[in-house]
Amino acid sequence: MSVHLIIKSLLRRKVVTALLLLQLAVTLGLVVNALLLASAAKELVEQPTGLALEQIFTVRVKPTNTAMRVQPALSEVVSRQLAAIRQIPGVAAAEFTNQIPLRQGGRNSNIFEIEREDESNVNSVPYYNTGGQIFLVLGVKLIVGRELTDLDIGSENIVLTEKLAKQLFLEQNPLGKVTNQGTVVGVVSDFFSQRYASDPLFAAINFVPLEGVDRGYHLLVRVEEGQSEAVREQLTDVIRNAEPEMDIDTVMRMDENRDDVFRSEIGLATLLAVLSGLMLLVAMISAYSHAHFHALQMQKEVGIKRALGASKARVLMDVLSESWLTTAIGAGFGILVCYGLNISLAKVISIPAVPVWLPLLTLVLLLLCVTLATWYPARIATRISPATATKTL
Amino acid sequence: MEALLHNLKLSWYSIKRAPLPYALTLLILSLGLGTFFSNATLYYWMNRDPIPQKSATLFMARINSTPGDCTDCFDPPRVMSYMDMQKMSGSGISSAEAAMFSSDAYAKTVENQQATPSKVELRVTQRDFFKLFNVPFLHGEAWPDNKARMEVVISKNTALKFFSRTDVVGQEMLIDDKLYKVIGVLNDWAMLPRLYDVNGRRSAEPAEDIYLPLETAYDLAFQSNTQNRYFNVDWDGNMANYPQMARTNFVNQLQFWVQLDGPEKVQQYQQFLKNLVVDEKAAGRHTRPEGNKLDNILDVQKAMQATNDQLDAFALVASLFLLVCVVNASHLSLNRYMANQYEFSLRRALGASRWQLQSQIMADVLLSSALAFAAALLFAQLGLWTINSLLPSTAALANWDWQMLGVMALFVLLISYLVTLYPALKTSFSPLNQQLKQ
Repeated sequence: MSVHLIIKSLLRRKVVTALLLLQLAVTLGLVVNALLLASAAKELVEQPTGLALEQIFTVRVKPTNTAMRVQPALSEVVSRQLAAIRQIPGVAAAEFTNQIPLRQGGRNSNIFEIEREDESNVNSVPYYNTGGQIFLVLGVKLIVGRELTDLDIGSENIVLTEKLAKQLFLEQNPLGKVTNQGTVVGVVSDFFSQRYASDPLFAAINFVPLEGVDRGYHLLVRVEEGQSEAVREQLTDVIRNAEPEMDIDTVMRMDENRDDVFRSEIGLATLLAVLSGLMLLVAMISAYSHAHFHALQMQKEVGIKRALGASKARVLMDVLSESWLTTAIGAGFGILVCYGLNISLAKVISIPAVPVWLPLLTLVLLLLCVTLATWYPARIATRISPATATKTL
Repeated sequence: MEALLHNLKLSWYSIKRAPLPYALTLLILSLGLGTFFSNATLYYWMNRDPIPQKSATLFMARINSTPGDCTDCFDPPRVMSYMDMQKMSGSGISSAEAAMFSSDAYAKTVENQQATPSKVELRVTQRDFFKLFNVPFLHGEAWPDNKARMEVVISKNTALKFFSRTDVVGQEMLIDDKLYKVIGVLNDWAMLPRLYDVNGRRSAEPAEDIYLPLETAYDLAFQSNTQNRYFNVDWDGNMANYPQMARTNFVNQLQFWVQLDGPEKVQQYQQFLKNLVVDEKAAGRHTRPEGNKLDNILDVQKAMQATNDQLDAFALVASLFLLVCVVNASHLSLNRYMANQYEFSLRRALGASRWQLQSQIMADVLLSSALAFAAALLFAQLGLWTINSLLPSTAALANWDWQMLGVMALFVLLISYLVTLYPALKTSFSPLNQQLKQ
């Protein structure tokens, strides 16, 4: 059947066709943008963190007894808890810290090299007040200089991540540089610190003891591979036994923290994916019932065609090619819709621009769905025998 | 009535004759409506006016007093310092005013000292808080002034939890190991959205358990658990100095609310803030440009950038989905009516008036509306459940009241009518002859 004839037959049913095209256009626009958001969320979640996510547990604790929230009692409690945790079989290392990687919140401050304040100032860098095993727990690699040791406790020595050191000192040797936050003694490999800091990979580590833990503090535990569930089961009890007057939050593995941090993005992407699925379903239902209804209406026409010698395959192709044509035209308008929707969405959330290939891919997907839905009614149409179809003529 | 019943019966027969196309139409329509309703529910709760009788008079005041030379910093911080609060209070213009922040602590009763203390959410605030937001008291009353005192107001649920009864005025309880006397118990109260504190996008959270006087909280070094920002603070971390330090430095953690009855008062208060900044500048403080903000309670989510963008984006998409479903359903119902055209034409030929045909169609609309409404509510419930489990902090927003149900039912009726409108007109006004010949 020629395209010309199909278009003529479509024009005879203007309203139905217009409704069909509108629906296909919006469907394409939505599916494209939903796929885009889903892929952006996936990229966000799966970006490298520099951490062995499945081997690190975090738990926030806070003494319920106010006397334990200040030094020196606090340090004593913390070391008791850490000693107990390190006894658990399967634990490789454990340390306290004021804040944990990946999560927002904690102490952030600006940092600059004393001699070049204006050029080197970085606005927001997370500070980790922690202790000796932190490098083992995080599993970061030493790039230059040395790691901090127990001798550095209470000193002004700091260790920076590689990216932060590069940003601050460019190509110069960072060791021995004096910043407003202390003297740099080492640089370690990057890890994902805080999403909304000046850069997610910026971090500074010092061994300043915790002061005033009004918001509690965190215990970080590194476990040997494959031991994570065994350790998780015991962790809360061990911490409680070490010090009963303690509020203990849920134990979370680092990958659970990550999913929580990106929960809004993952949530929206999942919602839109579900909605896209529903839209494709709706498009299929519509294609099915349209073809079904049309096949009944066109009974006589099909009968005549068959009587004049058209093969079953030919009739099948006729019905299918009409579906394909409407889908293609609808999708053509859909490309406009998808750019329009992309612009409107970009006003409320961050969404990447539409790459050229994505609407085309979605068009193929849509064609596939429509073909699948049209197949059964098209088959019914071909089964009409010429004799029955032309009986009333 | 009898005619209506008859028409409903006819509609039912016509459905029974071809159940699949009808079911598909209904499915598509209710899917679209359900998705739209679930989103609209969340949107409604996020954006409604929680205190309509006085929302026009409640304002959050901020000044741009942060230290530092920044000539293009026009936006004040979201939270104010104790010094700012002192300067903005006592204007004599507002009829109520209170500063506040949220915190948490561990509490237990005096009788049960051995028990593990349980975590309680605190609202650290001043006397007028309860007046500002129409908070109802069940027993007792608020503090007589804003001075430091070891007295707390607690919520009804907190009273029940710790004392197993509500009339506990005069009882004592331990909060973070300090002894407080309960002077008031609130009746059931919640503000949704919680517009008095939206910082950190916490507007969907419940009201707090215990209300603590602001001065006491400063004396005992309670800090905000939402946001506290230090600007140029030189402090050695010694908690003994905290009360003095926090009151005289830019330790910003407060939100300051005023009640201004009428536009003149609003103008007067704005002028008061202006004069305040001029005086401050003359005294060599307030180095940044003037950036006074007096946000009405209904604009505060926007001003604090606490709107839920994901929900907004989903609202846009859900509306488009509804459009697709309506278009689709009307396409399907057109097909259905065309298939029934012969019957319609026959009735017209036998003398049925257009009015009678229309009432038949209305009965159709009524029946599909009822079915679509039920199915849409089901899908909406499913949608709400999905959204709640996927998007954080929407769980408190998933309820329907009668008013909402009514609006939704009307909406379904309207949409169903819209969907049937064109097909109905087409079938009742097409040339009879041609139709009957087929």
